[in-house]
Amino acid sequence: MMKLFGACLVLAAAAAIPSWAHHSFAAEFDVTKPVKLEGTVTKMEWINPHAWIHIDVKNADGTVTSWMIEGGSPNALLRRGFTKYSLQPGTKIVVEGYQAKDGAYRANGRDLTFADGKKLFIGTDASEGGAVPKPTEK
Amino acid sequence: MAHRLHINLSVFALLCAGASVASAQDIALAAKTESPAAAPLPRTPDGHPDLQGYWTNTTVTPLERPKDLGTKAFFTPEEAAAYEKKKLADNGPTGPGTYADVHYNMAQFGLEKSQSKVAANIRTSLITDPPDGRIPPMTPEARERNAARIAKNKGHEFDSAENRSLGERCILWPNEGPPMMPVGYNSNLQIVQGEGYVAVLQEMIHDARVIPTDGRPHVASNIREWMGDSTGHWEGDTLVVDTTNFRPETAFHGASENLHVVERFRRVDADTILYSFTVDDPHTWTRPWSAEIPMTKIKGPIFEYACHEGNYGMANNLSGARAEEKKEAEKKAQELKQQEAK
Repeated sequence: MMKLFGACLVLAAAAAIPSWAHHSFAAEFDVTKPVKLEGTVTKMEWINPHAWIHIDVKNADGTVTSWMIEGGSPNALLRRGFTKYSLQPGTKIVVEGYQAKDGAYRANGRDLTFADGKKLFIGTDASEGGAVPKPTEK
Repeated sequence: MAHRLHINLSVFALLCAGASVASAQDIALAAKTESPAAAPLPRTPDGHPDLQGYWTNTTVTPLERPKDLGTKAFFTPEEAAAYEKKKLADNGPTGPGTYADVHYNMAQFGLEKSQSKVAANIRTSLITDPPDGRIPPMTPEARERNAARIAKNKGHEFDSAENRSLGERCILWPNEGPPMMPVGYNSNLQIVQGEGYVAVLQEMIHDARVIPTDGRPHVASNIREWMGDSTGHWEGDTLVVDTTNFRPETAFHGASENLHVVERFRRVDADTILYSFTVDDPHTWTRPWSAEIPMTKIKGPIFEYACHEGNYGMANNLSGARAEEKKEAEKKAQELKQQEAK
């Protein structure tokens, strides 16, 4: 029975590679403008359809540019135990993605890591539709 | 891997062993009779089956059966493994600098189906009828109508917000239906029953369907709704919901406003509602077609998805298009200048 179970499990995992968002990312961001940004979180906009993380990035000339980083749906992050308070202002993060087509300081947050290389938002899997996390409000 | 398949093991054995011959009814029956956990179905005070709670219809089963599978409605385990291999090869990681790469990492944001509870299903397609598991051909009228719609918007896709899809505009998402289709993520819903009503609250993208079950007729035919007008009734232990009065813009799979949807909700065990539907529109398809989608219980709650609250993507898509147009115009002006200089 376990062998059968394994075979069926494999089937179920087969098509689980979706790749689409609430809107067209290809229309919003420029495939010819890849960016790698190292910045400090200033604000988390915990809103649907996409969460937006605001970071300040220090440029080579010492000036600072504020970037907006587009991420996934907060609802899904909530189910994994994250809240709008999980990513505190002051946290240093690295963002890899593509810049907005209109040239604004916006990028899609394709891969987000902490300064030490650990991935953001990889935590307790509280799926099954929602273990409600306890917010650590400040 | 956190992929969770929740199905009674005896049902699972039947699904996997007798896959090619087992019908949904067999499976449901097995769940009722063979499972030691099979308790009498919960009922509401008015005696109807209790469908209430939080459910997901997340699925990895395609709506339409791959053509090469013909009329084979169920996989055997061996075929399942081969199918999986093929699918994985088709969906490798995106290459840097490709359009597919301009996205967020789904796994990182908890949006991969492997991170959700998924109702087990070894059907080769959600479509159960016609026997080839595929949407029947469109009528010439429908082909013309849809071609005209596409032609009208061609080149104007980003002219304004109203040229964008209903989903991007936060008006309607495919899971809302009817029929209620599984979507890529947050494919969760809550069902609440009261005397004379059943309500379905969809997480994506915000709507609640309030379905009267008191025998009232549909609203007048001049009243058209994005989600149509739904009325319900019980046939034994099955909730049957009949929907008409759609708006033409809803266009479920290219359907006209004459779309007629009949949905069936049947609670087959503590963890499963077998949801099926038949759609008919003589102005669109050469025959009606049907599908079956198991919904599995989740813990809940579902969260508000106030889609338009932060729909920056809409403005950004349009400003991206304006930037592209500007770039294109500058390029053309430059070329013209060069030609004139020659």
